[in-house]
Amino acid sequence: MIEGIFVEGLIYAIMALGVFFTFRILDFPDLTVDGSFPMGAVIMATSLHAGVNPLSGLVLAFCGGVSAGFVTAAIHNKLKVPHLLAGILTMTMLYSVNIRILSNRANLPLLRVDTILTRVQSACEGILSPEIASLIFFILVVLGLKLALDLFFLTDLGLVFGALGNNEQMVRVQGVNPATLKLIGVGLSNGLVALSGAFAAQYQGFADVNLGQGIVVSGLASVMLGEFLIKSNRIWALTLRVVLGAILFKAIMYLGRYYGYYINMTPNDLKLITGLLIIISLAISNYKRLRAKGNA
Amino acid sequence: MKKLISLIVAGLVMGLIAFSQAQAKEDVLIGISKIVAHPALDALEQGVQDGVKERFPQARFDLQNANGEMSTAASIAQKFKAENVDIAVGIATPTAQALVNTIKDRPVLFCAVTDPEGAGLVASVEKGEKGVTGTSDMTPVKEQILLLNRIKPLKKLGHVYSSSEANAVALAEIARQVCKDLDIEFVETTVTNSAEVKQAVQTIASRVDGIYLSNDNTIFSALSAVTQVAMRHNIPIMSADPSSAETNDVLAAWGFDYYKMGRVTGRLAADILEGADPVDIPTVYMTEPGDVDLLINLDVAQKLGLTIPKEILDTANKVIENGQLTVR
Repeated sequence: MIEGIFVEGLIYAIMALGVFFTFRILDFPDLTVDGSFPMGAVIMATSLHAGVNPLSGLVLAFCGGVSAGFVTAAIHNKLKVPHLLAGILTMTMLYSVNIRILSNRANLPLLRVDTILTRVQSACEGILSPEIASLIFFILVVLGLKLALDLFFLTDLGLVFGALGNNEQMVRVQGVNPATLKLIGVGLSNGLVALSGAFAAQYQGFADVNLGQGIVVSGLASVMLGEFLIKSNRIWALTLRVVLGAILFKAIMYLGRYYGYYINMTPNDLKLITGLLIIISLAISNYKRLRAKGNA
Repeated sequence: MKKLISLIVAGLVMGLIAFSQAQAKEDVLIGISKIVAHPALDALEQGVQDGVKERFPQARFDLQNANGEMSTAASIAQKFKAENVDIAVGIATPTAQALVNTIKDRPVLFCAVTDPEGAGLVASVEKGEKGVTGTSDMTPVKEQILLLNRIKPLKKLGHVYSSSEANAVALAEIARQVCKDLDIEFVETTVTNSAEVKQAVQTIASRVDGIYLSNDNTIFSALSAVTQVAMRHNIPIMSADPSSAETNDVLAAWGFDYYKMGRVTGRLAADILEGADPVDIPTVYMTEPGDVDLLINLDVAQKLGLTIPKEILDTANKVIENGQLTVR
């Protein structure tokens, strides 16, 4: 069970890294996530059914997510539409696009096709149990992505991104176009989200067009919980705490499901818990910030 | 210090989870995973419990609900796996898929899945899979359309369904084929949520002479919107859900009671607990005359100026006349 939580937490950590990129680094609240997550899932499922090898499927899913992010950023940049609305517009359109990708179906099973997970598990057969094999695989995947992001933020481009969220004017003065940066940033972020969706579909055994419901909220909750865990502004710690936050979020949801009945809580109350978690994390970090200001 | 405290908290959470795996087992435990709280699915869940309790009065149930979030379906499957439930029951397609994908060493039953083959749960409905079988809520689409055709000969049949429900998409495919065979023009339109239903019906109402509604949660939650528009255009509705037809202006409804389907699934679970092998159990369809209800609304027929043939009326077990429902 505990490896189940870790695997799920790690899969959703990839999505949370994407959410962290837009919300925290770009200061661009992006709701495209609820559409790009299932988009990754349906692209992956369709590719697997078409006999594409799983790695190429992942690349295709990533590219699909990037293009979804491009659309959101383009609507925002060109039409001067607020971020939230731009994201909602793309998310709404993606619903139809996702059904199209599944050739007018709502759900595509992956129970009897060869996925990246079945490959990993069969490669480790006899050495490791399937659960442990998937756990190690996802630890490596998430670590790899985390390190790639860390390195990216140390490049010149990455440093400019950090500046953009803080002070758009300064970036302009340096002669960089913020619109281009937003395009790249939102694109990359949704690429990560779609990649997470592609893994989630293979982990769950199906892709469904409704897979995106509540995803952006769980991503936010993971980011906030992570901020509550580790205090630092070094980039390696920032990305690490997003991953830890995602795992902790899954663990708390699991506990609510498991022990909730002791306090008369039903599974129907879990959405309430999600919202309260975010509010509490925000309240605590705000309180700390205010106190720090008072001391300064 | 603060770091230490937060790490200790995280450690405690994980420790609790590890501890929860080592719980003693007593009598049979059955996990039921439902995709969303919804009148039909709630009745189904109750039916499963009652069906099991007929033979295992001591059975304990772990009732879980994914609140409509597909991503939660996998978490529930993980929980059942950790609890070592004796049987896991998945209500609706995504929850059943997540259970089959996660639980390999325990029997998994699906129910309320219209197209188990299409959902990848079983290779064929003729027999079970290793550790997997269940009940399908496939409704007699062809018979339903034929029945409406006998009451009022159709040239163009309208169909509204939700494009995001796997079940509804599978049924629409069958209805399309049936109309093709009967040489009836099939006018279809899709919705993505219950708020769009009324508008969708309005767009096709002037072009059809009958409306067929399949087993579709989204449509049934907005049934009164469909009947409003249909009655204004003098169009008869043939529905697959007799229970919602009792309170709405639907000409005829032919389908089964979800509670009864739950009972059947519960008995199936009891058979497996007593040693039956899921591989030998083909997918169960609700075709017994006792499982199926046919409702005819004579008030609606009168408003539409239609006469119900006597032989059809004789087979109906629920008739609405002068606002009174009589169950035969």
